[in-house]
Amino acid sequence: MYWTGFTPDEAREILVNKDKSKRDKRMELAEAIDIFVKDGYNIGIAGFVNSRQPVAAIHEIIRQGKKDLTLSFQSAGLAVEYLAGAMALDPTRCSIKRLEFAYWAHESFGISPLFRYLAESGKVELEDWSNFNMSARFKAGAMGIPFIPCRSPLGSDVMQANRSKIMECPFTGDPVALLPAAHPHVAVIHVQEADIYGNCKIKGPLFTCPEIAMAAGYTILTCERIVDHERIINDPNRVNIPFFAVDAVVEVPFGAYPGNCHSHYYFDERHIKELQAAGEAFRKGDRKPLENYYTHYIYEVKNTAEFLSKIPYKQLQHIQQIEIRDFRLIHSVSRSDNGANAKSPAMLHRQLSSGR
Amino acid sequence: MEILDTYADDFSPQEMIVVAGARLLENNKVVFAGTGLPMVAITLAQLTHAPGIIPVFEAGAVGPRLTRGLPLSVGDSRTTSKAMYLQGLNSAFELAQRGFCDYGFIGGAEIDVYGNLNSTMIGDFPALYQSPKVRLPGSGGASDMAASCERTIIIMVHEKRRFKEKLSYLTSPGFLDGSPGARKRAGLVGKGPYRVITTRAVLGFDNETRRMKLLATMPGETVQSVQENTGFDLLVDDNVYQFEPPSREEIRLVRDEIDPEGYFIKKIIK
Repeated sequence: MYWTGFTPDEAREILVNKDKSKRDKRMELAEAIDIFVKDGYNIGIAGFVNSRQPVAAIHEIIRQGKKDLTLSFQSAGLAVEYLAGAMALDPTRCSIKRLEFAYWAHESFGISPLFRYLAESGKVELEDWSNFNMSARFKAGAMGIPFIPCRSPLGSDVMQANRSKIMECPFTGDPVALLPAAHPHVAVIHVQEADIYGNCKIKGPLFTCPEIAMAAGYTILTCERIVDHERIINDPNRVNIPFFAVDAVVEVPFGAYPGNCHSHYYFDERHIKELQAAGEAFRKGDRKPLENYYTHYIYEVKNTAEFLSKIPYKQLQHIQQIEIRDFRLIHSVSRSDNGANAKSPAMLHRQLSSGR
Repeated sequence: MEILDTYADDFSPQEMIVVAGARLLENNKVVFAGTGLPMVAITLAQLTHAPGIIPVFEAGAVGPRLTRGLPLSVGDSRTTSKAMYLQGLNSAFELAQRGFCDYGFIGGAEIDVYGNLNSTMIGDFPALYQSPKVRLPGSGGASDMAASCERTIIIMVHEKRRFKEKLSYLTSPGFLDGSPGARKRAGLVGKGPYRVITTRAVLGFDNETRRMKLLATMPGETVQSVQENTGFDLLVDDNVYQFEPPSREEIRLVRDEIDPEGYFIKKIIK
């Protein structure tokens, strides 16, 4: 057995020795990445596929040219695709060494051409898991135990392509999979609201963000907005990550753009397709569109604000409108045969898209 | 209910499998849904005969009403609309592992005669695992659903290259090697595949041998045409029948209300 990231004992040691005072942890994104992300680190990437991915933090990691990274995540799209593109263009500047993951693509937006490029040319070490496996591994890390039993996916080749052990349950005698805890060196997480100490509230699905933060040695938290501490603790049940699990708090509006951030903005379909097309061109041998993309949107800009200044305002407004509009049931379909008042999902998708 | 003379005049293979998927779903069941066509099928079932279906999305949402439009991801904000429980991936998969999820609704790139699915890689495994011929996105939550939902319903494009004697890689377990009790012996809790809905057929599995069995042909297909597009020998049910085409109303709901942008319905699956 070997560990990537911290071993369980090292991970505990980090926390034992950490300054747990309630102190102002605000800093600039560049500073946070410089302090907490080192070459060779295992990075826990939060979010899920293209939702609430820590895109702004990843762009900064690319600008700072971190190398030999291990990426740990369940399902991801944009964040990891950006890193893959940087490596595809110049592996001496930014590189991924290893992946511990379940899924890498963009769901309805299609496959990830740059992941295919890296994987099929053998440029990254792959370790396959399922989503539940990765989530449970972070949970084990968060619980401070070295491994966790899990049912899935026993009997599959996924279990042959990773470090899980299959053993007989000492109580039932049935086979069970044991998964090693995951303790990334650093977690990068984007949320909606945090106070200056790092207490945060997540809206919409939590994904595995709380577990990743609790499992990692260090956590960089970017947020749409910093809110008053009193407001956060007004409803302590709703604090999803406690301040002492957080090492840097960075206010980055649109920090998950062009992905979705629940209650702030929906996907920017147009921009995702632009990145996607550049990646696909690269995979097929034309590196120019990808080079242009990275130069224009990442390397030539200082920060997220400058990146966003290159996106048409109307495009940003559009994805906010889709997200924040007070959706109502538009149609009511009643069936004469069963009398059920089933409600329809709306046509508003079409209405909104036509407004672009 | 309006019948027979209300069949749609034209429909795509994707629309046919969505309609077939919807019709198979029972009311008041908990259905763990993968991305894409399963979401469309569940929504169609909710709008027709099964308003009480409880969808579960792996990113966290349980029992949403999808009133904000069709989600483009199982984790996007649209999956959360009026959800009754909203935590994260661990909680969703724990529900399945515990036995709360009646059906898992998934797809894959390749399937074998025992309903095992591959969504990881094409090539020589394990020898060339680190540099596969074609790298696919990976399991995501499909293998978890296949492992722990009580039954699975699989949606596939029906092509010979996808219905294979031997998979490159077994991502999502079906009946494994098909031997009696194979799933139980491996430590899996769900009963395994229930139906495979394809662009050409509705298939089930033989109780004795657990081999895939043709139950119904889609409109325009025959037993022979289905077999010709399958890379292994199919069992054929004694009562094999022609699946009823989509009704006008089903097609209207899919096109006008559920997926008006054609995100999943118009997509050509490669």
